[in-house]
Amino acid sequence: MPGAQRTPRVLAVDAGGTMTDTFIVDETGEFVVGKAQSTPEDEAEGLLSSAVDALRQWDTTPAQAFPQIVSGVFSGTAMLNRLLTRSGLNVGVIVTAGHEDILQMERGIQTYLGYSYADRLHVATHHHNEPLVPRNQVLGVRGRIDLMGAEALPLREGEAREAAQQLLDAGVDAICVCLLYAYRNPAHELRVGEILAEEKAARGLNGDLPVFLSSEFYPSRREFPRLNSTVIEAYAAEPSRATLRRVRERTAAYGAGFELRVMAAHGGTVSIDSKQLATTLVSGPIGGVIGAGWLAERLGARNVICTDIGGTSFDIGLITDGRHELDATPDVARFLLSSPNVLIDSVGAGTGSYVRFDPFARRPEVSPDSAGARIGVCWPEGGVDTVTVTDLNLILGRLNPDYFLGGDIDLDVERARREVARQLAEPLNLGVEAAAAGILELFESSLRNEATGRVLGKGYSPVDYTLLCYGGGGPLHVAGYTEGVPYAEVLVPAWAAGFSAFGCACADFELRLDRTVDLPLLPVHPPEQRVAMAGLIEATWAALRESVAAEFAKSGFGEDDLRFTHAVRMQYYGQLIDIELDSPVSTLQTQENLEALISAFNAAYRSTYARSAPSPELGYLVTQAIVRGSVDVEKPRLPTFDEVPGTPPLKGGREVWWRDGFVWTDVYEMDQVLPGHAIQGPAVIEAPATTFAIPPGRQAWLDRHQIFHLETR
Amino acid sequence: MATIDVVRGGERERHGIGWSGLTLQKMLADSERRFAETGFYAGLDRLELKECDPIGYEKIFSRVRGGLVSARETALNISASPIVRELGELCFALYTPEGDSVALSTGIIVHVHTMSSAIKYMVRNGWEDNPRIRPGDIFANNQPTIGGVHNADVQTFVPIFWEDELIAWAGGVCHVMDIGAATPGGAPVGPTTRYEDGIDLTCTKIGEEDTIAAWHWKRCELMSRSPKSYILDERTRLAGCHMIRDTVERLILDEGVGRVKTFMREAIEDGRRGFKARVRAMTVPGRYRSPGFLDVTFADKETLPARARRDFLMHGAYEARIGEDGHFTVDFDGSSAWGWHSMNATPSGVTGLMWIQFTQTLIFDDKVNDGAHFATTVVAPEGTWANLDKDECSTSGAWGILFPAYSGYPRSLARALQSRGFIEEVVGSFSTPGNVMQGGGIDQYGQMSGFMHFEVGAQGQGAKYVLDGLDYGAAPFNPEGDMGDAEMWELMAPLLYLGRRVKPNTGGLGRHRGGSSFESAYLVWGTENYELQNILTGAVFSSPGLFGGYPAATSYVHTIYGADLLDRAGRGEAYPVRDGDFEAPEFLEIEGDRVHRQDALTMLRAVRTGDVYVSVMKGAGGIGDPLLRSVEAVQRDLDEGHLLPRFSESVYGISDRDAVRRRRLESVRSVSDWWAEQRERVLAQDLIDAVRVMYAESMRLSPRWAAEFRGFWDLPEDFEFDILTPTVRAPASVPGKVTPAEACAEYLAGARAHQPPGDAAQPGPAHSGGVTAETLGDLLDERLGRRQVKAIQSGPKDLDRFDKWVAVLQERVHYDDPIVLPFGEGLNIVRQRQDGELVIRTDAGADLCRWDENWKMHAALRVRDTTESMRELYPAMAHPDPEWMELREFHCPLSGHLLEVEAVPPGHPVVHEYLPDITGFYEGWLGRELPR
Repeated sequence: MPGAQRTPRVLAVDAGGTMTDTFIVDETGEFVVGKAQSTPEDEAEGLLSSAVDALRQWDTTPAQAFPQIVSGVFSGTAMLNRLLTRSGLNVGVIVTAGHEDILQMERGIQTYLGYSYADRLHVATHHHNEPLVPRNQVLGVRGRIDLMGAEALPLREGEAREAAQQLLDAGVDAICVCLLYAYRNPAHELRVGEILAEEKAARGLNGDLPVFLSSEFYPSRREFPRLNSTVIEAYAAEPSRATLRRVRERTAAYGAGFELRVMAAHGGTVSIDSKQLATTLVSGPIGGVIGAGWLAERLGARNVICTDIGGTSFDIGLITDGRHELDATPDVARFLLSSPNVLIDSVGAGTGSYVRFDPFARRPEVSPDSAGARIGVCWPEGGVDTVTVTDLNLILGRLNPDYFLGGDIDLDVERARREVARQLAEPLNLGVEAAAAGILELFESSLRNEATGRVLGKGYSPVDYTLLCYGGGGPLHVAGYTEGVPYAEVLVPAWAAGFSAFGCACADFELRLDRTVDLPLLPVHPPEQRVAMAGLIEATWAALRESVAAEFAKSGFGEDDLRFTHAVRMQYYGQLIDIELDSPVSTLQTQENLEALISAFNAAYRSTYARSAPSPELGYLVTQAIVRGSVDVEKPRLPTFDEVPGTPPLKGGREVWWRDGFVWTDVYEMDQVLPGHAIQGPAVIEAPATTFAIPPGRQAWLDRHQIFHLETR
Repeated sequence: MATIDVVRGGERERHGIGWSGLTLQKMLADSERRFAETGFYAGLDRLELKECDPIGYEKIFSRVRGGLVSARETALNISASPIVRELGELCFALYTPEGDSVALSTGIIVHVHTMSSAIKYMVRNGWEDNPRIRPGDIFANNQPTIGGVHNADVQTFVPIFWEDELIAWAGGVCHVMDIGAATPGGAPVGPTTRYEDGIDLTCTKIGEEDTIAAWHWKRCELMSRSPKSYILDERTRLAGCHMIRDTVERLILDEGVGRVKTFMREAIEDGRRGFKARVRAMTVPGRYRSPGFLDVTFADKETLPARARRDFLMHGAYEARIGEDGHFTVDFDGSSAWGWHSMNATPSGVTGLMWIQFTQTLIFDDKVNDGAHFATTVVAPEGTWANLDKDECSTSGAWGILFPAYSGYPRSLARALQSRGFIEEVVGSFSTPGNVMQGGGIDQYGQMSGFMHFEVGAQGQGAKYVLDGLDYGAAPFNPEGDMGDAEMWELMAPLLYLGRRVKPNTGGLGRHRGGSSFESAYLVWGTENYELQNILTGAVFSSPGLFGGYPAATSYVHTIYGADLLDRAGRGEAYPVRDGDFEAPEFLEIEGDRVHRQDALTMLRAVRTGDVYVSVMKGAGGIGDPLLRSVEAVQRDLDEGHLLPRFSESVYGISDRDAVRRRRLESVRSVSDWWAEQRERVLAQDLIDAVRVMYAESMRLSPRWAAEFRGFWDLPEDFEFDILTPTVRAPASVPGKVTPAEACAEYLAGARAHQPPGDAAQPGPAHSGGVTAETLGDLLDERLGRRQVKAIQSGPKDLDRFDKWVAVLQERVHYDDPIVLPFGEGLNIVRQRQDGELVIRTDAGADLCRWDENWKMHAALRVRDTTESMRELYPAMAHPDPEWMELREFHCPLSGHLLEVEAVPPGHPVVHEYLPDITGFYEGWLGRELPR
């Protein structure tokens, strides 16, 4: 269908570190994927080039297409880069007096966050992060709220004023305030906020210098993650707002009239004008899980395990009963955060992972560190001299040296073979291919354990789950890491390499706000009293609904357009970890409704920690009240084509080492596989951005939705 | 089914539940016999599975370890204790039926072997028959004489059966918040006998059919002051053990039971070999000595029984011997006696701490399991604090002595690593965590509760050779240090944080600074009836320096009862939120009934709303001569609050370093002069009782130590300290005398470093990674960024590092004589060209002595044994009373380079820290001649 007759409806962009992927869907559900080099200095450039690349496939242009698009989602890395390169705003911080060293001391856990098993034990490697705010710009103010929310020590307003003046004199760009127990009672923080406003006004700085109160942005228990989130909001998110506005302006210049939204860590998309923008710090990987959830719903799968292999890591997400899990105390870039993230376990094992022989233990080892974009010894220009997983794939014939990234990069198979022989095969006393194949098996078996471990850890069995594989490196290893595991199905979307961008397009326009309430419901409380006490949750929900509505009003939505979900975080009284559940009822004014919430919690607890007995005898603590508000947005439709029987045309063939020897293997081009086609292993399906390996004994067929089903014959 | 009764020939024959129908006792006896006969675990001279199917073997290992790590990560969410949930004081492991660990999770690794001891206890004592071991059973132990450090570490065991055969055990352990001892907390200070140590579980069967018995729940509820937390911790351990059982069952289904059993045996033997290979590759055979000390001040503690009310110094006589094919021996011979206090340990606890040290240093990236146990020996002589000869002793505060005693481990290992050139791994002594604040009473919720504050989980880490020590982020008992959020701790006890600030001058000063620690100040809040105590606020140095770096500061107690802080705040006045400077604490301005002094331990004392309690934590020892610290680094210390300004001059001499060196050389004396003078003091027994009783105990318990003591000071063969040692059985020491030279010669004559038979000269070849000589030079000269250093630390270790290291050093020294063995910062063992002698030479060219003598006896000495001289380095309240401990500084006589600082009580022999088996090193381990 020529471009002029198409109606593009949804645009989703994943601007990654190296490539920007664009995913555009039309009203029939057909889609195109575009790719372009990322442009970190001005992400709008990469977005446009990538959109041009995508739309070219439909013979159209942004100027023609953008006015027709009704929904646009952007996911970038600018904010994360600002954090990683420590190039954010100059921030000042006001904390409770006596805690001025908090950012310098950080939590001990941040000195080894993200480390491998070995390095967590290996204490010599632990080190502190460079603080986001210099020590002399963290000032204290006396005054204390206690854990019940009562004032223990009065706020010394004069100190707040001095602190404000000192920070303004220092020329900071933004000021954060995080006082102990402000989530419980924000009175002191609000007063400090007023004083800051007065001092700013005295200098004619009205509105120019943003102030971030922790109680307003991230009102949750634990001061350190709360402070981190608040500081990141000022340090990295605030300047990114300008970047995002520039992206919006550039698309508007092409006639785009849609609201540009950003993927947030809780799994919904938010407006770029959203207050809590730091929740969009990591979005690409989240997009993958959301896309998987969307797909699962359409395919009728309740439980899905999402797996994504990139150059450096293997990411696992879980969708159970149609819901992804949330991590309430997540960490990003070695910072503990206060706002929940879609739970993704990242294991340091990717296609660029180094493979070494440990001379002391005399064993091969796939290391947690990786060559990343430098590929392996097979690419001399990359300067890598340690063998990587990609080198192993190459010498076994599973990768095509002449078609890596579509042939843009030449790989040196002989060099790889020489190095594998020298570094691994000889010390292991094995043949070169046997060593390479064995180590890949070890690699894939550890991925297999990680994936099944996630399922089993929840008390489920793999037969209850559909495994979905995406990411550039996923299709190459999916057969290996699903071998022998009885997953309900193993699915590989044909657009696996652009799946994260696709996922962003699938997300709801949804804002999530939460607030700590810490309401105990104990065995000693009679039922009537419990219901009266639950009024606190009601009231908090109402306040949160109001804030959500106010945020949506910025995007022109009225209350009638909004759909609200009421949720809580809850635990057995005395425990430290709570779990999140959507409330089955939206009001708690009756005993039945409150009981319904408690039963839902007990059920959710059992499914989270299947093997441990719930402890209802302790009573309950509702730690947080949560409201999610969403509005309808246009989403992709699942493409549907007619299935044609047969096999795709053969692209060629080569010798590929599978289990214990070379086998002549057919090679296909992914573009030429049509819905209905089935391919028997051994086979390799190649695309510029990915390679799908089908070993002997397995087969894959493409369904009418462009999804491969990997099966055992 | 525990035992299968089989009718055979009319007689009932009982079959064991172990592998192939053996009893567990038979399995253990067979395993021990085979090890004794062959030197291989279970007699495995070949690792067939690993050799024939190296990949399959690794796959099983990664599955087992993955299962353990994920069991821990999942289970800890169930706990109600921040000690477990936030600070990760939890560990799981898998054991063979006879109790040898196969693999473990992260966490408090100390317990891998303590749980092994407990399983072996059950095996040896016939638990198989009574109370029987059956599928679904649950056992619990926390009894340190059976296996453990102190009662607060509670262990849970679940047997894993497969078709009537006990295949393995899952074990889990965590540190509980309150153990129901005589005083509240997890490491109570008050107990003087074990009858006051709290809940006692002696490998008790607490449940059947996967269910914990109701009576056990009831007992825990009645006996712990924090029953909720205790109960949820019990559930945490059980849930984790059950997850591990599932992992093993699935593994058996996939791999077959035979292969899993073979794997379990081979993994341990593999661990043993890997450990020894690592020791041979990274250390130097030899004898290493580094004693540590703990002060106990009970004389004024009126609530204690009369027999316990005395002051004394405890001696942790640490000696490591590395030799043979990589065998590692830790020997506490010469240590003080056990006593009527809680700082006693058991061999199980002593072994446990060695485990933590190994897994954080030598074997972090290898198969961590009981293989290392079979490659090591721990000598804990009976009657010392390390091995009670009476079961009635309290061990609830065992860590108190274990920490300073084991401060010898990092210092000794550092010498070996420095010799081999693995400088990126050199970390000085850890801080001895304290103050460990504990208490209990009616809390802010109006309920009785007990509490132990675990922000001690983030103290200073020892200085590194190539970096400063990690500040406020490390704990010797758990590699994953953390201090938790204030808003979490305030849920647990009626204490409001007034502040949590970096404490200046806590870290030991040096070329690299030991990690700093912090102080927390609390306002007691929401209670009229609570009690608090201090432990490990020691007043003697417990984290010594290395290579010329200084020990970390001591600590102090500061509590204000009936403080007027709330009144001041109410009037709108400012109030302090920290003490800050040791010497000028800000809380002095708050009025009230003040206790402000150096005191290693305080008893419970009642507090109520408005009282102020300051908790001062400890930093770690420094490395290297402070005059070598860059001026920029000193400035950074000042900016970040690690250093009080006045010490930038008195210690670091930032304005004129040459002047400081000149002053040093003016104030030093020869060791022989000092020795002669001190000899008279020892002969006259002119020492405080607390120190004399320590020497008397060491001498009465160890004839060897007594003989060496007399030999060092050239005392009469029957010299004896004239003081009572009520907990030592021997009334007097055995006469005898051994000179230092004789002791060295005896050690070297018996040293037999060699390659193991059947093993090639070196571990397998390594072709990738490792550092080049150029990078090593950059690392030494500190031209690398933090990221690059981390990459070298985490990367593979190069096998030819030693040769590169010697070459790098040779290029930097001003002499041509070949370096034979690097011997610490600024010292090398050198072959003198003119006469072929091996001597210890300073970088400035002073030949101090022969290689096998104690070079310190030939250095230029300055002793700081007065308060005035200590104050040049430490603020008041941050250093010991010189009657308890003195500082001895050993310099190069030519340059004034400070080479070593020794922190010991007066009268202690000069420590001969490092006696390398230099011939064994070259000929036995490197497989080549000593350089000519």
